[in-house]
Amino acid sequence: MNNQLHEKTDQMNMDTSIRVHVSLLNSLMTLAGELVLSRNQLLQTIASTDFHNVGVVGQRIDMITSELQEAIMLTRMQPIGNVFSKFPRVVRDLAKMLEKTVDLEIIGQDVELDKTIIEAISDPLTHLIRNSVDHGVELPSERQKIGKPASGRVVLRAFHEAGQVVIEISDDGKGLDGEALATSAVSKGLITAEHAQAMSEKEKINLIFLPGFSTAEKVTDVSGRGVGMDVVKTNLDKLGGHIDIISELNCGTTVSVKLPLTLAIIPCQIIMTGDERYAIPQVNLEELLRIPAHQIKERIERVGDAEVVRLRGNLLPLIRLADVIGIERTYFDPADNKAKADRRERISDRRGRVSPAFGSESQSIQTENVQGSGKSRSRSIADRRHSPMSALNIVVVSTGTMRYGLIVDQLLDSEEIVIKPLGIHLQGCKGYAGATIMGDGRIALILDVSNLARMAGLVALDGTDRASEVAMSAAETQRMSNERQSLLLFRSSEQEQFAVNLGLVDRIEKINRSKIEDLGGKRVMQYRGGSLPLICIHDAAMVQALADREDLLVIVFNYGSKAVGLLAVGPIDALELNVAIDNVTLKQTGIQGSAIINGHTTMLVDVPELIGSIFSEWIDDSQEFLLDGQETSFASSPEAR
Amino acid sequence: MDTTKKQVEKNIVELATFYVGDALCGMDILQIQEINKLMMMTKVPQAPEYVLGILNLRGQIVTVIDLGKKLGMGETEASPDARNVIVNSTGSSVGLLVKKIGDVVAVDMVNKEHSPANMSGIQGKYFTGVYKRDNSLIGILDIDKVLGIDE
Repeated sequence: MNNQLHEKTDQMNMDTSIRVHVSLLNSLMTLAGELVLSRNQLLQTIASTDFHNVGVVGQRIDMITSELQEAIMLTRMQPIGNVFSKFPRVVRDLAKMLEKTVDLEIIGQDVELDKTIIEAISDPLTHLIRNSVDHGVELPSERQKIGKPASGRVVLRAFHEAGQVVIEISDDGKGLDGEALATSAVSKGLITAEHAQAMSEKEKINLIFLPGFSTAEKVTDVSGRGVGMDVVKTNLDKLGGHIDIISELNCGTTVSVKLPLTLAIIPCQIIMTGDERYAIPQVNLEELLRIPAHQIKERIERVGDAEVVRLRGNLLPLIRLADVIGIERTYFDPADNKAKADRRERISDRRGRVSPAFGSESQSIQTENVQGSGKSRSRSIADRRHSPMSALNIVVVSTGTMRYGLIVDQLLDSEEIVIKPLGIHLQGCKGYAGATIMGDGRIALILDVSNLARMAGLVALDGTDRASEVAMSAAETQRMSNERQSLLLFRSSEQEQFAVNLGLVDRIEKINRSKIEDLGGKRVMQYRGGSLPLICIHDAAMVQALADREDLLVIVFNYGSKAVGLLAVGPIDALELNVAIDNVTLKQTGIQGSAIINGHTTMLVDVPELIGSIFSEWIDDSQEFLLDGQETSFASSPEAR
Repeated sequence: MDTTKKQVEKNIVELATFYVGDALCGMDILQIQEINKLMMMTKVPQAPEYVLGILNLRGQIVTVIDLGKKLGMGETEASPDARNVIVNSTGSSVGLLVKKIGDVVAVDMVNKEHSPANMSGIQGKYFTGVYKRDNSLIGILDIDKVLGIDE
């Protein structure tokens, strides 16, 4: 009780007064003096109508204001040690009560944070520290059993990283058991068993943030009352912070909390949609993506009715800002610098000139074209599609677990903005985190990207971690099952790419078409003093005919005691790789299957079958050849067939 | 005698009056921060229907409400007579768009009557009462109710 009272008065003191270094106060005074001088100067300049000087004075005032802003911000900065200083006692008391021995190490007490943040993180940090001592560190006897020193260690560390402050609480305790967390969550009915199965280890650990979740098997009076981590997370979210847990079973847990330096001013990317400007906090911003107009058709794909873009091999869901906040879709027309209504169903659709709204315009353009070039439907050079301004602008944002692309009309500057809260009437608008006043006095709304995602119904993203894990392990098993294969790539017609096992190839000869002789219904050529029978893939398989070229290649195979030449054209390439062979799609006589090699679908030639089907009279000899070829045959074929 | 006089004086309230639709409404002038002409507003998509937008009033963000819509008396036109009545309530400033500004009248609250029983529905709950003048009636707005979020 006494303690509580003490804490309360402490809190009140914190709220009402602040300690500021005298030197800072002095610099503030100097700046204020300068500001007054500049104001006088400005008034004088205006009075004397000497407009040349206005710019100079404006610049001066600009400089002083930003310096003043910085200095005032500094007065709000407080060392984090103010909060940290109470933790040794918290840990000591708690350890004593739980009969554990715990050493607390504090690093980085001098790191400074905004006053409001310092005040707000006190409770969440206390909770995290208590968690570490209560759930993390084991009893001394248990620790000794598994060969750890009897006394546990909790490290509290604060440091700067990428413009943010990171606070880490790490212990060397028992760590979090993802499986146990998942089972517990399922038994509490928070998630379904199927859901749990599809979760990655990290997602399982993150279950601890679900409301109503408590992992402690027995409830102590310290923690484990079912409220906890979710409250910690909500509180930190409110501050614009991120919380992350890294845990290894029996080795310890590290909780890292990332916080912005200050809440008052945040850097934002300004975007424009539907003639209004919006700000996206830079913390949420991953990258800006601009798809040139002529690539939109190829790069924007549709899965069901969801639009996605392929970004470095990953699918990124796209949502249109205009749709989410329910305003008319617009696009930016570079011709007259105005936003115009966008009537396209899909992004990849063309913006047709022929439409009721533009009826007269399209007419005139058509007639112009008829008179001009004679090609009535050709699009003029001034077409929007060719203008760099008509590219699709995507802001890739992330909200910790989710990542998506927000389609906007225009990307503007990145600015430092001051957050102002919205009135109570707009509290129901979940898509905004607040508003800000821009340089021209107008207001821009600040977007809350996680709520936007929720509004757009973007939920299926939680599984992406798991999906990549599965993909990785699948790729791994594939790699194990596929031996490395040496393949010779070549073409028969210009379009189709083929491959044969390099082990079967005896020689490759470059010949001229004229060297081919047609004798007795068979193609032969002179080769090492004898006649080499020549075959083409299209003799047996339903593929395109050999290219009509003068320079040909002959791939010589040894078929038992005989040699056979396969006519082909370049380019040829030999490479060693692991490929997954599709034995179904393109399977036919002489073609064993297909695989994707270097971005081309490549047909794998089954040489014995090909030769056998053309020279059926050789079938006796083929036995020998097969035995020969078996060792080097495509690895996956025996089981797969 | 003295005390009764004080009582009477206490009940004198200055009402700022304005027109919402065709109805004359009034509110305690002390609740009003200022009255402005229409300024450039930023629309807020997804806001409730009666919210016209937000505007920048000397560095403060003010939500502008169409009082006509809020009271269910139809949309207020953006005419030259229209005014923004800025009121301060529950910590934030709110602008009420009205059709026209009327006089400031000093009224004795003793003459205030309850809202007529037939003035029910959406309008009724926003009025604390009606003041009778010789030639007109002034509906006295309950500003906290008007600015509260309901529905």
